[in-house]
Amino acid sequence: MLPRPNGILTVLSCLTMLAPLSGQALPPAGRLLASQCAQCHGTDGRSVSDIDSLRGESARELYSEMLEMKYDNDPGDIMHSQAKGYTEGQIRLIADYYATLNQGGGGTGGEEEHEEHKEEHDD
Amino acid sequence: MNSLSRRHFLKLIGTSTALAATPTWLKAQTAASGRVVIVGGGFAGATAAKYLRHWSGGNVAVTLVDANPAHVSCILSNLALNGSLGLSQITFNYEALKQKYGVTVEAGQAVGAANGQLHLQDGRTLAYDRLILAPGIDFAPVPGLDIRRIPHAWQAGPQTTLLKNQLRDMPPGGVFVLTIPLAPYRCPPGPYERACLVADYLKRNKPGSKVIVLDANPKIMAEEHTFTKAFYQTHAGIIEYHPNVLLNEVDSTNRTAITSQGNFSASVLNVLPPQKAGKIVSDLGLTGGGNWAPVDPLTYESTVAKGIHIIGDSQGTSQPKSGHIANSEAKVCADAILRAFAGELPDPAPTTNSACYSPITAKTASWLTAVFAYDPETRAMKLVPEAFGEAPEATEENYEKMFDWASNLFAETFA
Repeated sequence: MLPRPNGILTVLSCLTMLAPLSGQALPPAGRLLASQCAQCHGTDGRSVSDIDSLRGESARELYSEMLEMKYDNDPGDIMHSQAKGYTEGQIRLIADYYATLNQGGGGTGGEEEHEEHKEEHDD
Repeated sequence: MNSLSRRHFLKLIGTSTALAATPTWLKAQTAASGRVVIVGGGFAGATAAKYLRHWSGGNVAVTLVDANPAHVSCILSNLALNGSLGLSQITFNYEALKQKYGVTVEAGQAVGAANGQLHLQDGRTLAYDRLILAPGIDFAPVPGLDIRRIPHAWQAGPQTTLLKNQLRDMPPGGVFVLTIPLAPYRCPPGPYERACLVADYLKRNKPGSKVIVLDANPKIMAEEHTFTKAFYQTHAGIIEYHPNVLLNEVDSTNRTAITSQGNFSASVLNVLPPQKAGKIVSDLGLTGGGNWAPVDPLTYESTVAKGIHIIGDSQGTSQPKSGHIANSEAKVCADAILRAFAGELPDPAPTTNSACYSPITAKTASWLTAVFAYDPETRAMKLVPEAFGEAPEATEENYEKMFDWASNLFAETFA
């Protein structure tokens, strides 16, 4: 079973949603963090090889897959090690950011995109 | 060789400049603007150029300066030594950066910078608000070393071809000697990977030959489990590993390494000279008396000179020097510069990572992984211990995945 500290996650996701709304000058929350996946998964999550694209997956899918890799003890999977490098809060930010790209966001963020995500997280 | 992975890899090379649909920098809009000049079009510099344009929605003017019209990747270049790849397959021009992202590319050699102006050797100057230096490595002198006879092949290109030809012309029963400098040097696993691939090549093509590894370091510096197994099992009887051997001098005519533990004569001598920050970084006095440039890892801005950022192999944080992490650092730097242009502070908690595959034979590969997180107490990038590791074993599956990894890293940087 995966540990799911729901209370903490709710707080974190609220915090992440506030950040991009505070000013146009700040980049969308999670953009820099998420860009660190791109070396292997492609720019803005678009892979050009057999490695999975991150774009096109929902925030929930990305989040649960990352947690599975983080806690599934599989030393033969390079992503097991990589996933352990991030906190659940960071994984949430990454997942949310890639999901905003699915809605046509070019990385600039925006109020509407983040509102939609709020609904997804609160369930 | 005919796997899906390899097909993708070859496809990428042929079509990398055709990927452009609508330039992303025409679509997005943000407020910040400014002028950035970048010296060096390797993994660090090319990534910074691309992301400054991409993330600013084209509002930041970016000029990339490199002496060469294309970059030959060190990543995968050991596979050119045994003929698995041609150098053209790992050579990347700057057309995609120009056409798809609107980067201005200037051919030239940077020789100085002052008062917001970068000076090129041909007399031209380029004005900047922020300067990024990403020149890669330079070599410290080794007495007697003539790289026209004794290649390092540690900057891919003609040196790789020279070493490849020397291996091809090596007699059966010959000796390949590889010297490794004290860390830090470019690509921690690289020398050990090279020893393995050369051993594998000699086993099949030059029976009776030996590989002698003379390491200035006290032990194998990366993927210790993997390379110990490779040296003492996979390539047992061919590779001979000697730690704590300091290179004092090279007899380039007789192909002899003169070391703290005696003289080693070779049929092919491959000297990796001690390394330091690229010349422009040292020339500008940005190394603070050391070999590498001290920087603030939140921004990669020099701690010596304001407005100048150093990324990739020349920077002096504790992060390893490799193309993958150079790409990683470049995005932290680009993000910080865009925030600075907008009057904002840098992201207080950046992360970087390394994930790289190393061939162990012409059919198998291993991998290593590392994640670094900013530690506010020490103001340094700190290894996240749980995320640090290496492949349990070298496998054929990893060998194929290596091309998937490289394809995405190449496209993420140059396309």
